[in-house]
Amino acid sequence: MRLNPIVKKDIKVQSRSMKICWGVFSYELILALVFFLAMSMIQQQSRYSNGNIFASMVWLYPVLAVTQLVILGIVVPVRTASAISGEKERQTFDIMMTTSMMPFSVISGKVTTAIVQSMFYVVASMPVMALPFIIGGMPWSALFWFLAIALLVSLFSASIGVLCSSLCRKTISAVILSYVFYTMFFVATVLPIIVFAIFNIDMGYNTASSYSYAENIYLFLLLNPAVYLVEFFARIMVGESVVNEIAALGGMGKVGGPIRLVTTGYGWLIVSTILLLAVSFLFLWLAARRIDPIRKKGKKHGRGKVSNRAD
Amino acid sequence: MLQIDHLYKSFGAFQAVSDLTLHIPEGELFGFVGPNGAGKTTTICMVCGLTLPSAGNISIGGMDALKNRKEIRRKIGYVPDFFGVYDNLKVKEYMDFYGSMYQMSSREIAKISDDLLDLVNLSDKKEVFVDTLSRGMKQRLCVARALIHNPALLILDEPNSGLDPRARVEMKELLLNLKSMGKTIVISSHILSELSEMCSSIGIMDHGRLVASGPIDEMMESVLGSSELIITVDEGRETALRIVKESAKARMNSVGEHEIRISHTMTKSEIAKLIGTMIAQDVVVTGFHKQEGNLETLFMRVTEKEEDA
Repeated sequence: MRLNPIVKKDIKVQSRSMKICWGVFSYELILALVFFLAMSMIQQQSRYSNGNIFASMVWLYPVLAVTQLVILGIVVPVRTASAISGEKERQTFDIMMTTSMMPFSVISGKVTTAIVQSMFYVVASMPVMALPFIIGGMPWSALFWFLAIALLVSLFSASIGVLCSSLCRKTISAVILSYVFYTMFFVATVLPIIVFAIFNIDMGYNTASSYSYAENIYLFLLLNPAVYLVEFFARIMVGESVVNEIAALGGMGKVGGPIRLVTTGYGWLIVSTILLLAVSFLFLWLAARRIDPIRKKGKKHGRGKVSNRAD
Repeated sequence: MLQIDHLYKSFGAFQAVSDLTLHIPEGELFGFVGPNGAGKTTTICMVCGLTLPSAGNISIGGMDALKNRKEIRRKIGYVPDFFGVYDNLKVKEYMDFYGSMYQMSSREIAKISDDLLDLVNLSDKKEVFVDTLSRGMKQRLCVARALIHNPALLILDEPNSGLDPRARVEMKELLLNLKSMGKTIVISSHILSELSEMCSSIGIMDHGRLVASGPIDEMMESVLGSSELIITVDEGRETALRIVKESAKARMNSVGEHEIRISHTMTKSEIAKLIGTMIAQDVVVTGFHKQEGNLETLFMRVTEKEEDA
């Protein structure tokens, strides 16, 4: 299998820059600070509760993992936002589009580069990340799941960044648009539930039929990366479904329906993973269409006849 | 090699290219001439698959450019008017990157890139970072990059813009070298003097239309008329005038004390024969030269005609 030339070139070019050194340094510094903060909290808590400090160290796992996923969620869209717009600004995009590389290969190359770089950071964090496993006794499978989630977060963030990069001419606009897009996934998926809750209270009724509507509305949360992470860590750490708890708090799940189905076992995580992957690939496909110079805006070529012609 | 039929491109109400039909045979060095905004770059972008035509057909090597995009990209080498390079990438790696974009093997790339860097006089810069090269070197590197996959058609958009005189001469020599290697080259420029020295045929674009095209000599002849021959004589002026009058392919333009200017449609050998006859009849010919029309005059004449129309 041949390595995508864009991945090879981008990694080489970026590795030669000092940015990568400063990036890893900052990443490790943030993790170290979070680690010391979490350790001091664990120490204090165990002093008051007379508990085993070593057993409490398992809680370093979600703390460090969430910190890393948040950093990736912030950094990856910035890095990928310059993927296409940066090529345009550098005036290398046209040359790239006249080579044998097809638009989807270009996009997948850019996204793979972003994922490889994310994994570079994640691997660099392993000495710190290993502590809850070695001392705290976390099962090693949790490390595998963390890497899988880090991959998913990187892919999802990179697909948003690359789509925005294909939409904008300037990198700065692409970065801003990426964050707007990203925020939308956190806000827009919660918004229908909030609206429904307000509507439900205002209308002053709480019938069985209104619950069944509410159940469907909760399915929007399947696309919310924050809910996904909370559900994942709740499953790993305490073996319970947070979504199920939320649904129960809201009085949902009484009449069955899709929400009951997806909150059974690992259903929520499986469906959410599939949806987030599908959305990521949809974004990549849209980005590839967008950069394809002769498929722009869905225009069809008027072969042999004068279409779209100004008289 | 390149066949364009009734090509149109509009951007909203603006008609960038209108009813462009052109044929460029294999091995030709074709010059696209026209003022800024004439539609040269738009046409080139359509040929390279960077812009979708509003209507019309483009075929390269007998292959439809819009239907067979991947194959067509292998046939074209494109050098844009403005291009950038990647920081932190060496010349050798730059060539390697673009070679692998055409799915070439590392061994193939290494061999071809060595030859190409030699061709563009950059073989001693292989380990140098691309962004440290001069503008002229970058331009030559870009030509080498465009040739990495051995394309049949090389398209250069304003390759001499921003280059110093030495770099221009080097670029001209490089293109003539490539022509002698049998490459079909399309070059767009508004520096007409350079094109006239390089191109075998040209196409003149104005306001999105191809107003004239063909071999430079033929166009000079048809647009500017017959060329002028200036003969300088020291003695026997009257005999010389009689010989010119007797020639069917020559017409007297003006006669000076020592200088006779004639319009003619003679070939080189006929000119030699005419001069030979003069010398044989004791005319002291001290010199003769052809006064040829230049591309600037041709361009002005053609675009003037178009504006009048």
